[in-house]
Amino acid sequence: MAIKFVLMVNKQGQTRLSTYYEWLSMPERVALEAEIIRTCLSRSEFQCSFVEYRGYKVVYRRYASLFFIVGVDQDGENELGILEFIHALVETLDKYFESVCELDIMFNLEKAHFILDEMVVDGCVVETNKVNILKPIALMEKASEEKLFAR
Amino acid sequence: MASMMSAHLSKDFFDLVKAIGESKSKQQEDRIISDEVQTLKKKMPEAKISRKKMKEFLVRLIYVEMLGHDAAFGYIRAIELAASKNLIQKRVGYLCSGLCLSPDHEFRFMLVNQLQQDMTSSNFLEVAAALGATIRLATTDMIPPLLAHVVKLLQHDRELVRKKTVMVLHRFHRLDASAVSHLGPQMRRTLCDKDPSVMAASLCLLHAQITEKPLGFKELVPSFVSILKQIVEHRLPRDFDYHRMPAPWAQLRLLRILALLGRADQSTSEGMYEVLGDVIRRADTGINVGYAIVYECVRTVTTIYPNNNLLDEAARAIARFLGSENHNLKYLGITGLAQVVEQHPKYAAEHQLAVIDCLSSVDDTLKRKTLDLLYRMMNPVNVEFIASKLVESLEQSTDDFLRRALVSRLCTAAERFAPSNAWYVATIVRVMELAGELVPNEVAQQMLSLVAEGGEEGDADALRADAVDRFVGMLHREVVPDGLFHVLAWVLGEFAQLSSESASVAEAIATLAADDARLKGAPRARELLLTALIKLAAQSDDINTKAALRSLAERFASSSNIELQQRALEALNLLDASTEDSGLLEDALPYDASLEDPLDGVVTGEGEDRNGGDALGFLDRFVASALNAGAAPYQKPVDDENETESESEEETSNFKFEAYAEPQKPGRRVQQTSYPMGDSTENDEEIARRLQEAEYANQPPQRTTARGGNAIGSGGGLAAASGPWGAPRQPVAPTPAAPRPAAAPTQQQRAPTPTEPEEKTAEQAEKERMAAALFGGVGAATAAAPRRAPRKASNASSRQASRSPPPPAPPPAPEPSLLDLGAPEEPPAPAPPPPPVSDLLGDLSAPAPAPVPPPSTASDPFAAFDGLSLTEATPSTAFAPEKLTTADFGGRWGPTKHEKRAEVSLTPTQTTPDAVAAGLAKVGAVLVEAIPATRELILAATHTPTAAICLWHVKLLATSAALVTVRSPNPEVARLALEASVGALSSSA
Repeated sequence: MAIKFVLMVNKQGQTRLSTYYEWLSMPERVALEAEIIRTCLSRSEFQCSFVEYRGYKVVYRRYASLFFIVGVDQDGENELGILEFIHALVETLDKYFESVCELDIMFNLEKAHFILDEMVVDGCVVETNKVNILKPIALMEKASEEKLFAR
Repeated sequence: MASMMSAHLSKDFFDLVKAIGESKSKQQEDRIISDEVQTLKKKMPEAKISRKKMKEFLVRLIYVEMLGHDAAFGYIRAIELAASKNLIQKRVGYLCSGLCLSPDHEFRFMLVNQLQQDMTSSNFLEVAAALGATIRLATTDMIPPLLAHVVKLLQHDRELVRKKTVMVLHRFHRLDASAVSHLGPQMRRTLCDKDPSVMAASLCLLHAQITEKPLGFKELVPSFVSILKQIVEHRLPRDFDYHRMPAPWAQLRLLRILALLGRADQSTSEGMYEVLGDVIRRADTGINVGYAIVYECVRTVTTIYPNNNLLDEAARAIARFLGSENHNLKYLGITGLAQVVEQHPKYAAEHQLAVIDCLSSVDDTLKRKTLDLLYRMMNPVNVEFIASKLVESLEQSTDDFLRRALVSRLCTAAERFAPSNAWYVATIVRVMELAGELVPNEVAQQMLSLVAEGGEEGDADALRADAVDRFVGMLHREVVPDGLFHVLAWVLGEFAQLSSESASVAEAIATLAADDARLKGAPRARELLLTALIKLAAQSDDINTKAALRSLAERFASSSNIELQQRALEALNLLDASTEDSGLLEDALPYDASLEDPLDGVVTGEGEDRNGGDALGFLDRFVASALNAGAAPYQKPVDDENETESESEEETSNFKFEAYAEPQKPGRRVQQTSYPMGDSTENDEEIARRLQEAEYANQPPQRTTARGGNAIGSGGGLAAASGPWGAPRQPVAPTPAAPRPAAAPTQQQRAPTPTEPEEKTAEQAEKERMAAALFGGVGAATAAAPRRAPRKASNASSRQASRSPPPPAPPPAPEPSLLDLGAPEEPPAPAPPPPPVSDLLGDLSAPAPAPVPPPSTASDPFAAFDGLSLTEATPSTAFAPEKLTTADFGGRWGPTKHEKRAEVSLTPTQTTPDAVAAGLAKVGAVLVEAIPATRELILAATHTPTAAICLWHVKLLATSAALVTVRSPNPEVARLALEASVGALSSSA
């Protein structure tokens, strides 16, 4: 169903987070990520945020240096809905990291995954309620006595 | 932003992330990761590593894999860490396993025990972690040991656990629907969970099931409707809002579910209308997520049983999207319009300019979607315009998926809506040229069949010459398109003598065949080209051709390519033999015999008695001597009996009427003989024409075999055309009617019905012209809509008919005899060919003794490249009135390829059809018919200097203007006629 992968790639084309809801071999992923970011970079901000790539519809949105890229299957998915979902994801990361930046995701890669795993399950957007997303993570950190970072 | 130095980060990890972050190139990044792989390989197996440290190693391992390096050496540590009591460590263990283990990796199954254990934990976070990992890691084999645990968790008192449990079932359902099918009622009950997020997850689960089998879920519609209603009425906690829009993603999913359940189901759909109206109104708050919902409503409304109010609402939404400056919204507008347009074409008309805008957009996504839209809007009137846009896009595209889609669309377009055979051939050849490897073999076959038969338009040679010219041009190219060799070689071999430069064709073929560099990557090209040359040599008296063949054949006679060698030796033998028996080569490879059954007559040993006996006539002596020597005479197969009997009816001797296409025969017969308007069997002339075309486009594959006897001739694997049902031998008595008479209402449909009246500004003129080309059949929506359905249906059925094993009946009259080319039985053109024309054309086509094309509307192969001389010869604009019936006009309009168009301003007193007709009468055009209802006129005249027919279509616009379209087989004549018309109408103003 629906979402096939979520990527975060910076504008140098370096992958910062990738997760696939349908298995792709490593060479396939590497090629796909490289080509998609090239496509995204070649588009101006006035062009629409949707591109077709191979069998995927790719929805992307750029935040500062980082592209958030979501691949969905050809039929059915609501492109604008996915675009807004990206924003919901960024808002959630922002809430968790307090003004998120590329380095936050790099230093806390597993946490970024945890947040995404609360929101997208098996290719479906299941949760966008930020309280519901962040509470289990906070509880887990508390139980593990591991703070995100020393402030 | 979080601070860089985190308490739990080791220096190693920090340095790694920093290095990755600062790397400037992929190479540098690869080096960092390679080093990291070495470090991890060394450190991870160490015995005294703390689990905390191991967690960090695993995150580093995730980095390694994410950046494209294999880290299989560490997977086992991830499995181990999943057993940790520390929650974060456990989740990192699961996370790493889920990201790295391929579906068939044996380690997945090693986690089953741990998953079971965690699912029964008293700590709900552990349970949730296990469920999350199950969604990532489960395989079909893992369902049985886990399912019982999972089902229990549906009753868990934590909503987080219930939510994840529902999603585990979603995963299981996708893996193996039968494994969870017994849980139907329990899965449905999750929809009523008191927690909204569990309910939202349940929507995902049910959506997946409904997609597969909507029928079993109809009774849930009231529940879905009520949930949707509660959501839009803000009855969910505020936490579920996104930008003040209540649970937008749940709304989207509900809308999609309703679309599935309401499709083609009136009573179910009626239960949704109210809530859909609510949703669409409440979502329209001017924010993106609201637009997403509105767009989803559009899709739902156009999918379910139609409701006019909602459709209007949807159309308004589409209009706003299309009018937006924001490209994302424009995209929604175009895709939304594509949704609407198939069933409700009337909505397309008002957006024509927006669509043209998008088509010329620099945004390739928008462009691509617009092409989708155009494809769905395609009809016989706009097909040329739309196909040209698709071809343009194919020229530019390098994306394989897109190219594949474009090729299949173009082939369908050509097959369904081709306005003329010449256009059909041109389109298919162009597509093969651009993407030969993607064109299905059958399509190429069909195209060749059509060339072989020469089409139905009365001038077989024009069509063939046109095709030949296309291919001759390609012979000289640096790179001959790969996918084209088969068709190129065949067409040239069969018909190159129709080319105005036929003498040089043989030479060009020989040169190409000898050119290693240009033939690289086309292994069979040589064989095909050699075969073509053999045929040319057989059909031409030119010594040079034979010499070219001999030298080429000698060159290949010792080729290591056995097939090529064989053909070369055959060629040499034929050449040698033909020096003794001059007619032999010709007998073996007669001109334009591709439609003949080579075994016809010969097999019975009575070749002379049968008009087809010449095909293998050169074997007669051999047969005779064999018979004399005591060989048994050939026995006809038993199933040929029928054919023998039917010989009494001589004209059918070459057709297997009895066996084929029974259902269509009566209708066709009627057509041949009766006036089209009175043809009640097919009720619409247009349908008949489509049938005919569909059959041409669907020549069954059996054709290939029928040509086998002509051993060399059939040469290429793509033996084209032929078949006993190919064409009548004797000239079918041509009715003086135009090749494709069309009934009046149909003509109205086919004519380039201009756009709905609209205010125009000067700079919009060009756009509107495009729009007119595009919205031809769509503009007159109300008139067109009812007719669409039946035509589609008949089209589909005709296609089905022609695909079914029995091949179609012979092409109907008025069809010129294919086998008596140049014979006086050419269908008499309504306009008698005045001598000057033949002279003119004769001069131009001097080298080729090509049959003079009848100066009718059929496409004139010379017209295309001799505009120059024609201009000299036609300084005057003298047009003689030409009396045509509406049906004649309709039949001629489509095949007449050169079109000129202009918009003329009229004074208010001159805007009646009568006044315009009077104005054009001054030019010489005579009114064929006026259609007051649509304010359209059609007129005709003959351009006396060239005898070219000229057809007018005039649409009076509401803006005191007239859109004048002139078509003629000769571009120059069309131009002159248009100029004269514009002059006449303006001066009368």
